[in-house]
Amino acid sequence: MLNIKCPYCGDRSQKEFAYGGDGTITRPKLNQEISDEEWDNFVYLRKSPRGKHIELWHHIAGCRQWFKVERDTTTHEIFRTFKPEE
Amino acid sequence: MSQNFRLNTGGLINRDKPIEFKFNGKKYIGYEGDTLASALLANGIHLIGRSFKYHRPRGFFGAGVDEPNAKMQVEINGCSEPNINATEIELVNGLSASSQNCWPSVNFDIGAINNFLNRFFPAGFYYKTFMWPKSFWYRVYEPFIRKAAGLGIASLEKDKERYEHKYEYCDLLVTGSGPAGLASAYAAAKNGAKVILAEDKPRYGGTLLTDDVTIDNLSGKDWSEKIISELKEMPNVIVKNRSQVFGYYDHNMMVMFERTGDHLEKKPKYTPRQRLWYIRAKEVLLSTGSIERPIVFGNNDTPGVFLSAAAKEYMKVYGVLIGKKPIIFTNNDSGYETAIEFKKNGVNPIVLDTREDQKSELINEAKDLDIKIKFSYAVIVAHGYKKVKSATIGKLNKEKIDFENTEQIDCDSICVSGFWTPTVHLASQSGNKLKFNDTIDAFVPDKSKQNEHSLGAANGTFTLQDTLKNSFNTGSEVSKSITKKDEKIQIPNTNERKYSAHDKFWCSPLPKGKNYKRFVDFQNDVAVSDIEVALREGYRSIEHVKRYTTLGMATDQGRTSNLNGLQLVANVEKKIVPQVGHTTFRPPFTPVTIGTIVGREIGKEYMPTRKTPMHHWHEKNNAVWVDAGAWKRPRYYKRGNENLFEASKREAKNVRDHVGVCDVTTLGKIDIKGPDAAEFLNRVYTNAWLKLPIGKARYGVMLREDGIVMDDGTTTRISENHYHMTTTTAQAANVLSHLEYYLQIVWPELNVNVVSTTEQWAGAAIAGPKSRDLLAKLFPKIDVSNEALPFMGYVEGDLFGVKARIFRISFSGELAYEINVESDFGLFMWEKIIDIGEEFNIQPYGTEALSTLRIEMGHVAGPELDGRTIPYDVSLEGLVSKKKDFIGKRSLAKEAFNKADRQKIVGLVPLDRKSSIPEGSHLVENKNAKLPNPKLGHVSSSCWSVENNNPFSLAILKDGKNMIGKKLFAVSPLKNTSIEVEVMSSHYVDHEGKRVRS
Amino acid sequence: MQKYSVFSLIKNAFSNHEKWDLAWKDPTPKKEYDVVIIGGGGHGLATAYYLAKEHQITNVAVIEKGWIGGGNIGRNTTIIRSNFMYDDNARFNEFGMNLWRNMSQELNFNVMFSPRGIINLAHSDAQMNAYARRGNSMRLNGIDAVLLNREEVKKIIPMADFSDDVRYPIFGGLAQPSAGTARHDAVAWGYARQADSMGVDIIQNCEVTGFDIEAGKITGLRTSRGDIKSKKIGLCVAGSTNVLAEKLNMTLPIETHLLQACVSEPVKPVLDGVVTFGAGHFYISQSDKGEMVMGGDLDGYNSYAQKGNLPTIQHVLTGGVALFPFLSRLKMLRTWGGIMDMSMDGSPIIDKTHIDGLYLNCGWCYGGFKSVPSSGWTFAHTIAQDRVHELNEGFSLNRFSKGYLLDEKGLGTKTWIS
Repeated sequence: MLNIKCPYCGDRSQKEFAYGGDGTITRPKLNQEISDEEWDNFVYLRKSPRGKHIELWHHIAGCRQWFKVERDTTTHEIFRTFKPEE
Repeated sequence: MSQNFRLNTGGLINRDKPIEFKFNGKKYIGYEGDTLASALLANGIHLIGRSFKYHRPRGFFGAGVDEPNAKMQVEINGCSEPNINATEIELVNGLSASSQNCWPSVNFDIGAINNFLNRFFPAGFYYKTFMWPKSFWYRVYEPFIRKAAGLGIASLEKDKERYEHKYEYCDLLVTGSGPAGLASAYAAAKNGAKVILAEDKPRYGGTLLTDDVTIDNLSGKDWSEKIISELKEMPNVIVKNRSQVFGYYDHNMMVMFERTGDHLEKKPKYTPRQRLWYIRAKEVLLSTGSIERPIVFGNNDTPGVFLSAAAKEYMKVYGVLIGKKPIIFTNNDSGYETAIEFKKNGVNPIVLDTREDQKSELINEAKDLDIKIKFSYAVIVAHGYKKVKSATIGKLNKEKIDFENTEQIDCDSICVSGFWTPTVHLASQSGNKLKFNDTIDAFVPDKSKQNEHSLGAANGTFTLQDTLKNSFNTGSEVSKSITKKDEKIQIPNTNERKYSAHDKFWCSPLPKGKNYKRFVDFQNDVAVSDIEVALREGYRSIEHVKRYTTLGMATDQGRTSNLNGLQLVANVEKKIVPQVGHTTFRPPFTPVTIGTIVGREIGKEYMPTRKTPMHHWHEKNNAVWVDAGAWKRPRYYKRGNENLFEASKREAKNVRDHVGVCDVTTLGKIDIKGPDAAEFLNRVYTNAWLKLPIGKARYGVMLREDGIVMDDGTTTRISENHYHMTTTTAQAANVLSHLEYYLQIVWPELNVNVVSTTEQWAGAAIAGPKSRDLLAKLFPKIDVSNEALPFMGYVEGDLFGVKARIFRISFSGELAYEINVESDFGLFMWEKIIDIGEEFNIQPYGTEALSTLRIEMGHVAGPELDGRTIPYDVSLEGLVSKKKDFIGKRSLAKEAFNKADRQKIVGLVPLDRKSSIPEGSHLVENKNAKLPNPKLGHVSSSCWSVENNNPFSLAILKDGKNMIGKKLFAVSPLKNTSIEVEVMSSHYVDHEGKRVRS
Repeated sequence: MQKYSVFSLIKNAFSNHEKWDLAWKDPTPKKEYDVVIIGGGGHGLATAYYLAKEHQITNVAVIEKGWIGGGNIGRNTTIIRSNFMYDDNARFNEFGMNLWRNMSQELNFNVMFSPRGIINLAHSDAQMNAYARRGNSMRLNGIDAVLLNREEVKKIIPMADFSDDVRYPIFGGLAQPSAGTARHDAVAWGYARQADSMGVDIIQNCEVTGFDIEAGKITGLRTSRGDIKSKKIGLCVAGSTNVLAEKLNMTLPIETHLLQACVSEPVKPVLDGVVTFGAGHFYISQSDKGEMVMGGDLDGYNSYAQKGNLPTIQHVLTGGVALFPFLSRLKMLRTWGGIMDMSMDGSPIIDKTHIDGLYLNCGWCYGGFKSVPSSGWTFAHTIAQDRVHELNEGFSLNRFSKGYLLDEKGLGTKTWIS
């Protein structure tokens, strides 16, 4: 079980969190003119590197804040957790 | 029966407390403090089971977790449990054990025929045969193999035992209470660290209980007792015996099981059988010791062959002789300790040492005791079928690949010592890549990947002095960095014998023309020849060897076979062991009872049960429940002998004719507040939200970004910047997370807050032509006229002193209202509605009637919004704004979503107006077409239309509304039904939606 | 090639099994091949076999980073089935079922395929209806399916919890009697041995380090054992697809996740077929050795670790005990993890790519084992003919942009919610 430091609440067990996937995706702006390909890439393509991965987690059984985590996908080591605006 | 092999004195057992137990139906006596194994050995019982493949007779080999053979069927507390390790289970009164994998008995086992045919069963033989005739594999060969395989018999009874979980946090977890564990735990505890010391065995001390050493002039055992009692006194220390740390997981999450029940003769009520500990440790000190390696020789699996340290442990801890005429077969000094112990207990052993004329303190001591020693000697083969009777031994030639001369000597046991293998399982699980240590011929931990240190024998340190020094220092250093305290501890003086170098000899060569089975893995019957066949056939990676031969895959997970297996592969492949590598060490270290892992979430407590405030009323009124996720909802209220169909029809009809009330508390509710709330809703929902007036509700549909409908529901504007959203019961949690994601990650500039209020409000829907009359009586002070409270209107009211929210919304298609009050008043509200509604013929209705009402109205729900449909598919195109952008809009332009003949919602009525159409039927043009029969769509929801008194269904059909008027077949091959249906509009009742507005 | 049979076994017994041939050779890579398959797992080895057998292309190399059969083919729970709702999935896997039925004889290697059947349990009428939809679809596709009521389920698995002390009672289930299990390692070895005998080079301990692409065409690849030229390269590395895709500058609709499984200690036969729990993430079968083979849920975050955490196992086993209370008294012997290509709709991709001569076989989620033969067969066709076969037409890479999704579970792109 991972030990995740919520940037708002501190160290907590993974049990309190829900995963949110690739944290580097930026949603296209509303009403933005973009190509089909750009849209499909947003909807379907994910970074899934072996090694450092920036991802979203959601503190659902806590402060209910979404935040970002930098984690190694081969060792599960967490390097840092940070607020989305950071 | 007398305990013929029990020594008159010695051991740590309680001779004052004899214990009666049964083995294979026969009664025996042991003592408190025995294991099942030691008690059987005390009674001279060696033949205890049969091997997996060849059904060869097997006896005890080890004295703890190293034991490969002694798996037994044991009756505990009235439950028969398979595969219990007799060397680990403690003897309690009335324990009853029996041998496994043998028929009719362990003494005479039919399966042993395999042994005589064993030359036809080399590694992987089953891949090469049993292929013809084709159908025979499944029908003949495999059932036979399955029956022969397996070890014990699983009881199919429900487990009545209790298992608990515990969570702990500590500075240091120390795994194992041998010298390394005691020293490091003590040093850390003295520095004020929060320490957990876990010992797998019932007794603390590890090798200190069996080794002839002194620490500060105390015997090993006395010193360990002293340290343990000091540790137990310290408030910052938890000391646990019968507790094995079996898994090292991410972020220093350690998992341990504690055996709390089975050793107790009378277990107090609520004492669990076992307890699982999740321990998050800042630092982990692995003092797991080492396991003796066997030396491989012919028929080395015969009962009476033991690890030499096990033989010593049986004498020193249990006061039991494993034999009275032992051969000690060793490649190092450890064997001499066992020999000396035998001698001290009046038994004359003979030592065969594979080394040439070795000298050491221990050997001298043995010589002084007149112990017979033969250097450069090895056991070639053991003789005796069910028990060792003699052995052929031989003098090794210089290269140690052949024998110069051989002789047969009588013996009743053979104790082997092939040196020591550090127990590196937990270190390896932590991510530590192991390195091979040439000096000890074994893998030891390398660089730590997590916060762990291996100490003592687990780290390849085999002297007490170094172990204590390193362990005190490490315990002190590691804790110091956490507690910032530094209590100096005097490292104690030790007295131990010096060992001389061991020999790398690990396997006796076969004399010319001899073909003895030499086992590497006992339990899985993997012999040297099997591994050789695998390599010969090209299964050369150690993983291939393991999988092809099943080496190390038995329940002992290769604890005594791994290194010898690697050594053999290295020899054949002309490599060295580190080039061969090792297979992965995976948790658990030893098998863990599944009940322990599961804990208390069993039976009805498998998942939480959510109940609405009206739950008990429903219960009292004969509700038949349906599970809606974690919620319990009334499916219908049974009257008399009614079945589901009759009851739901009655309830639905009553809504259409009079008025009904339904508990809708389970719907998800989300409070949305903030100046940008309208803008936010406008982005979340597909329809327009910027102009919703205060006091009005609106139905909305939200999509995922891929264009698929995620959820639907109504949202009401309570005040200027305050909205109340409802979701479906199933999607409540997802929708909340979804909204939070967009507010926090995508559009943080929006000033909006969302919070779940599902549990704050109890909801009751009153529906039917009489619902307004009822509402007027419930809220006499409110004008509930159509003008004052129109469809999709909202007011707040006072329900006999309770604040209530009244929404004029409808799921049933009837004139309807939903009343919400704070949950504490839910039952009050409900009872008022029922009481006052009586004059209007009110009846409560459940989810089944609710479905009927919504289906005949053509309202979509879960079966239609199944995670695959877009709004166009389910007649919701009117809610999709062309003007504004919203979540998922861009995806709606996809080719497949706009295909002219895409499957869309329609209604279906059977031509005979009688036959109900099973849900899950598919629509086809020709019911008798050749397979595969092209499917045009499927029946998503079916009901008995109470309005029209005939069956009606919703379906998702290719080409949708263009098919209206066509006749098709709704076929359900599963139910053998084929019903001719007419396609019609999905709105079967009140097409114009007049009633909801009436 | 030596033929395996009871006779060859007896014959070899009398020469102490010293005369068995290598199951496959250990060649050094040649400079050039007609086709190179990357990945010596089930899919890669099957592809090589069918290239040789069906298309007579034998100048083929299978490149494997570690040892063959070391990926998911050696880590799965050996379930074989074709109980799919969508036509593309159903027909593809039913085609595979026929290959499974003859596999032992065709490969002259006993892969122990046993049609012991699978039951997906349902715990509500709504779930029964969803299963009916799937089962009827199967039947109309010519696949066997039976809808069982509670009593019928009880006859098959009486030791399941049919008492009142249960959170989600069993309502019934959907069974596919012809589904089954096989011995996973044997499938890899059987394909390898036959492919080898037809001239395919199986090259182990050979890591791909890069690709050569000229003017939009693939020309070769670089490996830890030298450069290899080839105009056709097939990727069969589910679990590592994203790692190789990165080397090709491709991003795919795939996330990489960890799935754990575990076995109990072996016990005498108690369970004949495969059973899946419908009110939690749990499935189970009993191996020929007697171990209860159990799995269920992803660990739930991107991972390449092949090593998971206990709470997932706890979650899965909790479902197990809810269904079969007797499991509580068995012991968990071993846990392990495999790395999954989780695609955005839960279905695989077998297709050409925008690079000429580069073919993609990936996205198997946690169901790749059953598809080994059909995947190998269609992928071989796709590579040999440079066009997809009608059986894998639906598994295109562009189905996501066009909207032709094959989302059997309707869960969308949150791949970690299984």
